[in-house]
Amino acid sequence: MKWSGVLNIANDFRKYHTTTTWTLQAISMCEWCFKHGDGGKWYNNARLYRNELADEYNASEYLEEQWKNMETLFIRKIMGFNSIGLGYKMQMPIIGRVIRKVVEGQIHSEKKNRNPVRADGHFGQVLPLEDAQHIIGNLAAEPIIKNYCVCRWMQRGVKDAVCINFGQLSEVIEKHTRYIPEDVKYRLDREEAIQALQEQNEKGYVASVWFQPVPYINAICSCESPECGGLRLRNDFNLKTVYKGEYVIEIDIDKCQGCMSCVKMCQFSALRYLPSVKRVIVDLDKCFGCGVCRHACKHDALNLIPRESVPGQAGKY
Amino acid sequence: MTKRTSIKIDYSKCHTGASTDPRECRKCLFVCDPAVFLMHPTLEDHPDPHNPEIWRIDAIWLSKCTGCMKCVEICPEQAIVVKPGDSLSIIRGF
Ligand code: SF4
Ligand code: SF4
Ligand code: SF4
Ligand code: SF4
Ligand code: SF4
Repeated sequence: MKWSGVLNIANDFRKYHTTTTWTLQAISMCEWCFKHGDGGKWYNNARLYRNELADEYNASEYLEEQWKNMETLFIRKIMGFNSIGLGYKMQMPIIGRVIRKVVEGQIHSEKKNRNPVRADGHFGQVLPLEDAQHIIGNLAAEPIIKNYCVCRWMQRGVKDAVCINFGQLSEVIEKHTRYIPEDVKYRLDREEAIQALQEQNEKGYVASVWFQPVPYINAICSCESPECGGLRLRNDFNLKTVYKGEYVIEIDIDKCQGCMSCVKMCQFSALRYLPSVKRVIVDLDKCFGCGVCRHACKHDALNLIPRESVPGQAGKY
Repeated sequence: MTKRTSIKIDYSKCHTGASTDPRECRKCLFVCDPAVFLMHPTLEDHPDPHNPEIWRIDAIWLSKCTGCMKCVEICPEQAIVVKPGDSLSIIRGF
């Protein structure tokens, strides 16, 4: 990473100023690549997918407890509060700041005594189709399954078989029969899973990769907002359950024909059509780099470029 | 002073064991654009913890409710009462 120099400085600084929250925020994603990326992106590190690593962190036990309680996460009282009306609670001057600190501490926890019932250490990042397919093709541990999305069942009342889970998580989910698609093959080989990701991404679902718990990686979701619990906390309350992707979109304004097809694909409202110049514009601050809009463009006007190559977006995950 | 939205669900009408099981109906979940509702197993211990059998619905993301009243109109049990307040977007002003 070309910003590793900056990272070193930032981390040295952090050692001495661990209480200054702004430094933590400024380097947060870099922190995960720095800690777990072995010199690259965290989710490209093969070690984080292995059974040995899962065993080292007692992942199977954690996942069993976490999944038995998954749907009650938001209604459970944790340290005296639950998520009902979270938006209002977080608006309160002092309490709101305390909640943010406590919740983010739990989401990113690497402590030994992590609580699976409140999903400590469970967070992820948006990624483009190519990176997701690379993971499924080369890094994910078997068995690989495709199951109904928990978020969409709980929040929209529909069953949509779009979650790709793997490694030690697969057998845990299989016990929850309501999430196992009926009458279809749900254990997938790598080719089938790659194809499934392709179809889901082309529909407009956003690919995301998950630590569960950090640093064990075992899921690639195809999310929809506002049902997705992770994107909900990020988009509405700015809690870092889901980090923005390693890329941002670039519009080639010479090639854009102003057909508007891409606008309806973006789940983050980052794209808009301007009648005066007959082309689309992007709000890069809203772009998560999912790349989903590219599927709609017949004129090769949309491409992903590294977030780090755009000065105003570098380091902003 | 923020006026919070209040949403109440009558569990004597909609709950596993009541006249409607939310897992069968799900209409409020379907019509609510901001997905304010959450359907979940109850917090008690369930005989099979992997496959809990008692479910209900809570209105959870209250600050995202825009007061459209679609849930109230569609609920076959008339189990939902919404008192719209200020949403997060209204409070923030964007
Ligand atoms: S994280 Fe995304 S795909 Fe996974 S369960 Fe939630 S919405 Fe579904
Ligand atoms: S503009 Fe950005 S966030 Fe929106 S679909 Fe394209 S890549 Fe994804
Ligand atoms: S789909 Fe392509 S050509 Fe059409 S408006 Fe979007 S960028 Fe322009
Ligand atoms: S009033 Fe509208 S926005 Fe509010 S909970 Fe009901 S359906 Fe959802
Ligand atoms: S619409 Fe009414 S009866 Fe149906 S699930 Fe919702 S609250 Fe229950």
